[in-house]
Amino acid sequence: MSAPRHLGLAVLVAIFALWQLATLRAHPDFILSPSEIALHFVEAVWSGELLPHVAASLARSLPGFVVGSLVGVGLGLLAGVARGLDQLLSPVVFLTYPVPKIVFLPIVMLWVGIGDASKIAVIALACFYPCFINAYYGARGTSRIMVWSGLNMGARRTQIFRKVVVPGALPLVFAGLRVSLALSFILLFSTEMINARSGLGFLIRQAESSLRFDLMYVAIVAVAVLGYASDQLLLLVRRRVLAWQDAVSR
Amino acid sequence: MTILPADPASALRRVTLPLAALLTWEAAARSGLVSPLVVPSVTRIGQQLWLLASQPESLAEAWYSLARALGGFALAAVVGVALGVLMGRSAAVAAAFGPLFSGTYPIPKIALFPIFIYLFGIGSLPKVLLVFLECLYPIVITTQAGGRAVSRVLVWSAANMGASRARILRSVVVPAIAPYIFAGFRIALPIALIVVIITEMISSADGLGYLAMYALASFKTDRMLAIVVVIALIGVALDRLAVRLRDRLVFWERLDSYYAG
Repeated sequence: MSAPRHLGLAVLVAIFALWQLATLRAHPDFILSPSEIALHFVEAVWSGELLPHVAASLARSLPGFVVGSLVGVGLGLLAGVARGLDQLLSPVVFLTYPVPKIVFLPIVMLWVGIGDASKIAVIALACFYPCFINAYYGARGTSRIMVWSGLNMGARRTQIFRKVVVPGALPLVFAGLRVSLALSFILLFSTEMINARSGLGFLIRQAESSLRFDLMYVAIVAVAVLGYASDQLLLLVRRRVLAWQDAVSR
Repeated sequence: MTILPADPASALRRVTLPLAALLTWEAAARSGLVSPLVVPSVTRIGQQLWLLASQPESLAEAWYSLARALGGFALAAVVGVALGVLMGRSAAVAAAFGPLFSGTYPIPKIALFPIFIYLFGIGSLPKVLLVFLECLYPIVITTQAGGRAVSRVLVWSAANMGASRARILRSVVVPAIAPYIFAGFRIALPIALIVVIITEMISSADGLGYLAMYALASFKTDRMLAIVVVIALIGVALDRLAVRLRDRLVFWERLDSYYAG
């Protein structure tokens, strides 16, 4: 398997090398070479210029993600097992799911102000949908035989929910969480670019309008690092929680 | 979800939530406790909606947004399906582009928008290209998964019966991947609309996203909410269209996919 892995690495290296080479020739100010960007990035981290904005961004995206996905997973699992709740919630959720949630930002801004609360609310709303839908299908996919066996062995309904439904739905729940996490970042930077006084989205816009291209690229790299790192963290948690599943499929 | 369930009690439950939301909204608007600036009545939103629908200028704004979304989506569909099929059917291509795609997948591409503006100007081009970039990932990933899932037995049988490579691709591989391709399309389509609205809100002088921000800035809440309703309707309509098309073209298999926010 080593030859194909090297091929993928070679493509990545080639892209960066071409980019670096291209900047050796005359180019507009807004294009920086990868080595310059890396240098500026280290400088910005060292000088402490970047970290307050990272903290401000995370203070918005994490609460939004946590609230939205907790409510989404909880209601999704319950709607997957309780018919009354299913009929109450699912038609509304499935009908409104293709609606871009960012359109609610202006309304929420009007209601709770232009501060962090409106951003957190919109991020939570966007994170709710993938979590609800995946948890819903996860719970509905529970094997009947497992439920019957559990009932037959005298398990209570709450026990069946905890020990049969939830573990069975976990792989899909994690799929939903991963989508929600990616969405939380997209919405975070969109809301910060539309209006904010701190955060990475704000930094990108401010750097752009004051022609500080170095800072603009630094903020974009920080966004990329945050997105990538949080995704890897989630995958790590998934591997630990779902270790039993990987063992079964192996 | 059927439209008319046989059981009246379940039918009642289905409409409970939307009706309750609508009634609460209207009650709040008419009670006089909250300013009509914050919660305009449903009838006023309806009037604005009618105004939007009857003005050719606002229809043109909706068309700008729709054209950008569909343009970027179409580009991503062509490139994404081609790349996905290649990656799914060739180990070398998958090895070359796999790390690039999986490495950049969790990165929010929207952060590149300022660079795109500098590179491609402030018109439609940077928006369409950003839509293309965001839509490309789900289409490539689902198509590649489909390419991997093509039954070997079918490919071998076709080869054994003397089918050429091109014939196998056309008659075996593409029909086998088609359900996956449509699953990817259904994920990408709402994303296209999201990105268009976001980019129009951030920087634009036309389109529905701009119109919504403009209405908000001039404190015309009823007009803004009417625009929100229009955007929502477009989102639902595009999704219905994708499902219809899928049911027509790929009638033998359905893969449901849900993604968007």
